[in-house]
Amino acid sequence: MDEFEFFLEKQWSDGFPVVTPTEERVARMLAGTRAEPDQALGDIPPAMGPATVRTVAIHAVMAGCKPEYLPILLGAIPLLLRPELNLNAVQGTMGSAAPLLIVNGPYAKQVGLNGGNGCFGPGFRANASIGRAIRLMLTNLGSGIPGIGSSTVFASPLRYTACLTENMELSPWESLAVARGYAPDANVITCAMVDPPRYGFDDFSTEPGRLLTGIADSMSALNMMNMSVPRCAMVVAMCPTQARICAQAGMGRAAVVERLRELAGRPVRELRRGGTWRTERAEKLNIDFHNEDLFVPAIKHPDDLHLIVAGGLGPITAVLPGWGGGSIAVHGEYEV
Amino acid sequence: MEIKGFIDPTFSAVQAKVPPARRPASLAGKVIGLLDNTKEGADIILQTIGDALVERYGAARAVIRKKEMFSKVAAPEIINEMAGEVQIAVAALGG
Amino acid sequence: MCSVHDTVEFEKRGIPAAVIITEAFARAATFQFCSKGMEGHPYIELPHPISNLTAGQIREVTLRQVEALARQLTA
Repeated sequence: MDEFEFFLEKQWSDGFPVVTPTEERVARMLAGTRAEPDQALGDIPPAMGPATVRTVAIHAVMAGCKPEYLPILLGAIPLLLRPELNLNAVQGTMGSAAPLLIVNGPYAKQVGLNGGNGCFGPGFRANASIGRAIRLMLTNLGSGIPGIGSSTVFASPLRYTACLTENMELSPWESLAVARGYAPDANVITCAMVDPPRYGFDDFSTEPGRLLTGIADSMSALNMMNMSVPRCAMVVAMCPTQARICAQAGMGRAAVVERLRELAGRPVRELRRGGTWRTERAEKLNIDFHNEDLFVPAIKHPDDLHLIVAGGLGPITAVLPGWGGGSIAVHGEYEV
Repeated sequence: MEIKGFIDPTFSAVQAKVPPARRPASLAGKVIGLLDNTKEGADIILQTIGDALVERYGAARAVIRKKEMFSKVAAPEIINEMAGEVQIAVAALGG
Repeated sequence: MCSVHDTVEFEKRGIPAAVIITEAFARAATFQFCSKGMEGHPYIELPHPISNLTAGQIREVTLRQVEALARQLTA
């Protein structure tokens, strides 16, 4: 029996080979934590397969993680199971959202998580394998598999892996975690259910007004669920260059978030032209469907826009829309 | 379980079987509970079902309850409350 | 998906229950019933999508399934 074929033929496989989990490899992985292997972390919906420290270690081995990545995974599982994130629903949805892990704090840097050039793409073992371990648990333990537990229409490349840190070397601001009130030396994960990044290119704007107007436009497409539902997370990943344009104009994180919230949206007149907008959506938002001039913001709740600084130098910002069925981003400290 | 020199972590749930509830011979006189998951169209589907079961099958009446959010399971309180009032239940997912 | 969960909860309480879904969720519903110990529990399947039909059209496609629904709920 070819061990690679064995795992590639599994229904829960992500289509790529795994590192064969042996007792020896799992023992090495477990050295990355002081936690007891039998400690239960929770059950992954919808199939409710149990995640114990050992189970997580097995999936970490398969995904290609180093033992030092294990604490991040052990910290992520309880966050994934928070009711407000609504993992059960996202596992089954027709939509494509995937849990993006934004890891802040000194440990992220220590293990080599990338928040700079190429941070959403291939080539960085920590990014790739931590996100992949999560996905393998969602498919194996949770049965979030298209045609089985999942009705996803397209899925998304973020369902292979979705993990990064911020570019703190070049960011003009404090980290997302610090902005939330965590201590600078705290190790924190934010998890948001999001679709893949939509990239906006702006090599012309030199001041925030114009820059943020362009970014806001890509936050409010007619057929984005963000437009039509009361709560929906959105992650905006500004490259350091564009973050600095804002910072040099005297804007901190909070000011940028506020300005994006003011700018991103559409009048009812435009929403009626296409997409999912209709009377029932307006009713749920307590909006008069017939008031055509009324501005409908893309981000309706102050806690739903998560701004990070990531990527390399260049004129690009990424907007990652959230899941419209009701998933609020979560965050918490993890132990190393 | 370690087989062939490696671990197979494939999870397959062994669920305790839930026997279906005993079905009545007819729906005549029964109170129908309709659980609306609030997704678009679910309310119309359920209203239609409720009316039809009353008109065509002699059900006593239909009561509709809305869930808080379509993407979450109904709170046990809603299910318990309905279970105390109805003899038949229909849930609808819109979409 | 949560409507299957709710259906199973009613069955556990001795209340015959049926669930109406659209075909986009058919396979997920089959899986969910199986994983909750009610393998083979039937469901009513409407064509997908429902969300862009008029109220009249929704009523029409639903009425076509009333007989099948009644059969699922009676002996």
